[in-house]
Amino acid sequence: MERGYWIRSKPLYDSLVWRTKATGHMVIAEGEGGIAVLKLFQQMCPREPIKLLFADNKAASKQYADIIRSLVPEGLQVCESDEAVLSALKEQLPDCLMGTQFYVAGTEAFIWAVMDELRKYGVQDKNVEKELSGTLARPVYCVHCKNIDKDVHHSIHQCSGCGRHLFVRDHFSRRLGAYMGVMVDAEEPGNIPAAEEIYP
Amino acid sequence: MSTLNVKVAEVEQITEVVKHFTLVQENGEPLPRFSGGSHVVVSMDINGRIHRNPYSLMGSTANTDSYHISVRKQENSRGGSKFMHEQVEPGTSLQITYPVNLFAISKVGRRHILIAGGIGITPFMSQISDLNRLGEDYELHYAYRSAEHAAFRTQLEEMCGDRVHFYVDSDGSRMDFRDLLSHQPLGTHVYICGPEPMVHALHHTAESLGWPDNHVHSEEFTAPPVGDEFTVELAQSGITVTVPGDMSMLEAMEEAGAEPPFLCRGGACGRCELEVVSCDGLLMHNDHYLSDHEKSEGKSIMPCVSRAKCSKLVVNL
Repeated sequence: MERGYWIRSKPLYDSLVWRTKATGHMVIAEGEGGIAVLKLFQQMCPREPIKLLFADNKAASKQYADIIRSLVPEGLQVCESDEAVLSALKEQLPDCLMGTQFYVAGTEAFIWAVMDELRKYGVQDKNVEKELSGTLARPVYCVHCKNIDKDVHHSIHQCSGCGRHLFVRDHFSRRLGAYMGVMVDAEEPGNIPAAEEIYP
Repeated sequence: MSTLNVKVAEVEQITEVVKHFTLVQENGEPLPRFSGGSHVVVSMDINGRIHRNPYSLMGSTANTDSYHISVRKQENSRGGSKFMHEQVEPGTSLQITYPVNLFAISKVGRRHILIAGGIGITPFMSQISDLNRLGEDYELHYAYRSAEHAAFRTQLEEMCGDRVHFYVDSDGSRMDFRDLLSHQPLGTHVYICGPEPMVHALHHTAESLGWPDNHVHSEEFTAPPVGDEFTVELAQSGITVTVPGDMSMLEAMEEAGAEPPFLCRGGACGRCELEVVSCDGLLMHNDHYLSDHEKSEGKSIMPCVSRAKCSKLVVNL
């Protein structure tokens, strides 16, 4: 059996758990990340103030905003979309203090879009809890045309920017928030392996 | 380990207990460049025994003509600071290591809080030259005992303007770490250099407020703890070394002619880590490098500060 390969840059995600020492907590989630939020609120809540930014994925079958509303007494802001969550986050970060613990849940593309905002304020990757929720869909960066496709489920993906068929690698860039996609038939044009849905 | 041959160009009495030494290369060449927060290790021949003490470089990083270090005469000195104060004068030759930086300003920090206690002000002085040059947002909080002990106050006022705050013990003014750390924006880093209890208290306060470890930086120059005499055998070279009560294992091995690796000599950096082959007693870990688990496993030891209560310790060197 092929054992595949291990690559250092591939992120491994957490299961959200409250941090005990903090000045405040901020939870940022979307779509299936709602389940991660509910799991978090099943744990005994910390004493420090908690802020929660959440948006349902309107296209999904399961919606969590109402359940979250009923469980979270205060500090909750429900937004219309994941972009709205990011805008709300941008507004609040300038006032956040050191000692704020961050928790993110949602798709991989969403998680790293949030990290992009946090990084501007000097928050480091290793200090943020991240739970990958609902899907293994990958954001993929085409090394040839630099386009990023955010929702890739297959091992071979046709780039929406340049049309090349890309092999989706495990090498991940935290800065770009995407996996490396390299032209799969560069040496033998047209010899493209069958795409398998390995990131459902 | 390669060293630089320097000579003392000038000695200045800063306070009753602090002397400032200006060092230049014997061969007249410029000294290697260094980044703010770096230190060098000075070798001193005291009554036939070599002592090695780290001292922070205080000068501007833009200056490569000379290095500037300041030494506080310690009451319980093992000889290093006493030697520097009593035996070193203009013209004295010294051997120093190349600069090493274990106390660097974070490149991803948006704000920097610098906290100095007494002689701990030294590493910040070179950092400030970098912070000013880069236009960084910083604050320096400097606590010292009394007016006579205010080393470099005028210089600091000139370099930092209103970014520096002084706390004079004898006036009763004290730093409030909780207050200082409770209102900082995201991306702030805190740096502390001073006596052990002060550093410990800062770490504790930062942790309780939820500051991540990677935003809290400290530097301590403490002498290795003393203890009982014991024997260490170097398995590969076959040398057996007696470690006296007042010498560290690293120093004893160096004295015996071995050249074990080292860097900070303070139990913080990990460079001197040795594999423990066997020990017929207890390992006394005094470092801040090994994890609690690693310490209890007993497979490694940091000879720069740690010791053993045993008749023989065998290390893989």
